[in-house]
Amino acid sequence: MIRTGKQAILLTGFTLLEYLRSGRFFLELTIVIASYVVFLRPTGTPMNAGYLFTVAGIFGPVLAILSTGFMIGLGDRPQGYIILSHNVSRGAYLIGLFYAACLVVLVMYGILCLLVALTNRVVDLDLIGWFLASLPLILNIGLFSALTILLSPLVLGTGWRLFVLALIALALSSNVIGGPIINQLEEINPFLVTILRAVQTVLSGPLVPIFYGYQISISGSFSEVSVWANLVAQSSLLLAFLGLARYAFNQRDLIFSVS
Amino acid sequence: MTDVIVVEGLTKSYGHVSVLRGVHLRVAAGEVYGLLGPNGAGKSTLIHLLLGFLYPDSGRIRVLGSADLEAQRRQIGYIPERQRYHNYYTPREYLTFLGRFDGMPETILRKRIDELLELTGLTAVANRYLRTLSKGMIQRLGIAQALLTDPDLLLIDEPTSGLDLDGQQELLVLLNDVRQRGHTVLLCTHRLAEVEYLCDRVGILTNGKVALEVNVADVRHMTGSMVVQTGPLDLPLRQRLEMIGREIRCDEQAVVISPHSPELQAKVLQVLIEANVTIRALEPQLSRLAQIYMRTVRGEPVDNLLVTDQAPLRAVLNEAINPAPTDDIDPLLKRLLQRREGDSRQKDGHQ
Repeated sequence: MIRTGKQAILLTGFTLLEYLRSGRFFLELTIVIASYVVFLRPTGTPMNAGYLFTVAGIFGPVLAILSTGFMIGLGDRPQGYIILSHNVSRGAYLIGLFYAACLVVLVMYGILCLLVALTNRVVDLDLIGWFLASLPLILNIGLFSALTILLSPLVLGTGWRLFVLALIALALSSNVIGGPIINQLEEINPFLVTILRAVQTVLSGPLVPIFYGYQISISGSFSEVSVWANLVAQSSLLLAFLGLARYAFNQRDLIFSVS
Repeated sequence: MTDVIVVEGLTKSYGHVSVLRGVHLRVAAGEVYGLLGPNGAGKSTLIHLLLGFLYPDSGRIRVLGSADLEAQRRQIGYIPERQRYHNYYTPREYLTFLGRFDGMPETILRKRIDELLELTGLTAVANRYLRTLSKGMIQRLGIAQALLTDPDLLLIDEPTSGLDLDGQQELLVLLNDVRQRGHTVLLCTHRLAEVEYLCDRVGILTNGKVALEVNVADVRHMTGSMVVQTGPLDLPLRQRLEMIGREIRCDEQAVVISPHSPELQAKVLQVLIEANVTIRALEPQLSRLAQIYMRTVRGEPVDNLLVTDQAPLRAVLNEAINPAPTDDIDPLLKRLLQRREGDSRQKDGHQ
């Protein structure tokens, strides 16, 4: 366990150094600057914390998906065979890529926050409030990054990937086919609707911490116990996604893409 | 002698495509084993199975006495077929990271890297980005990284793939140096010259199995067949020549001896001289190993090519092969053998 952790950190440094030297981070930096210019630049009217974290709450996960995709691209190359032949476990390899992706997104989030703090003061936000509101956001970044890794071709085969995507689609479908369609279906086949709602409830359960975390960072209210419970739930979900990804990666044949 | 690699009944498929269909293989400690096979025979698959990158469908693998292949990787050096490295590192940085992954202490690692850069002739480019290095240098870096932990076992996959003749020669000479350090080596290739130069034993992987194993020393230098180009041969003379042995076939202006032996050649030449036939040329053809390989891959019998247990014949053959290799031998092998002879003469001189 300690060896895996140490190797994962080493691999993070290794991956990040290549990432920096290859100049790939310029794309993320461009997105940060674009996000700032479009949504967060000074406009004359004071900005509130709710608005900042609404933007950051979308910016973070989108960037997490993008950066993790880049890192998976770096990991899913024949070069990986050399790394793995040097006593790096599969788990360390995957976690190293995850850490690298998360670090890049966190640095970019930090740059975005710094730009806002320096140029466009947020009226109802102090340093502690900023830190607390960032917590669920950072956990969401980790969650989206872990989910992207889980759904990557490096970890899951096509069949399993489609299956997990179908489960996510079904979980999210309660928001899409909520009213009229369900009502119509209920008239035709009430039993099917009962089953569908049960499945949606079960599957959407794991997604609740993500959405609630987003709400928490926007509201900035940390007085309720449920808020802290949600942070624990987000952390648990993150560990579950990572554990699942690691398990799947351990079970499969390693065939890296030939670019 | 302990077996470093033990593979029993190994099968592996990719979907419906069955690549390995019951491979049995044993490589002893200190042995250099060549695995020959055509492209797509499953050589790289076998290496990836030995490294634990792939999981077998069935069968048993033990490397360095353990079935836990991931745990054994520190004792294994691996040189992949298409060597691709992380381009934004220098050789020194790259080796440093790999050594850290292996858990080597920093002081030992630094010393070891200096040694390996020296051995592989990369000291001068140690601080240049890998993307600026030539293919030959990259191949040598492959050797350096594989030797980093001074592993007990080296798995080498098509080491000279994509290199020009000079690059191949350089690399094989380097691998020969490595070989002499006593590492156990599994070399996968489809180049016979590499096997003849480097290996103690060769297995031919075809149709998903190791179809044949040969001691390389028994067939090294042995010409596979000889074509005697002659003047016109009439039918009675051709029949007389073919009576000498079933290894002899004639056409109107040539006699083919396959498999070749000096005894048969002497008899053929004697008959031709007696018949006052002009002998235009003696043309050695494929090496014995090449013939064995090609016949095995085609599924044809090789019994008459395997003469290793016939002591008198071996003795004759050994006498015949001691002179310098013929011009028709693989040009790379020829250069390598000449170099080896030069080296040993130099060594003898020193002694």
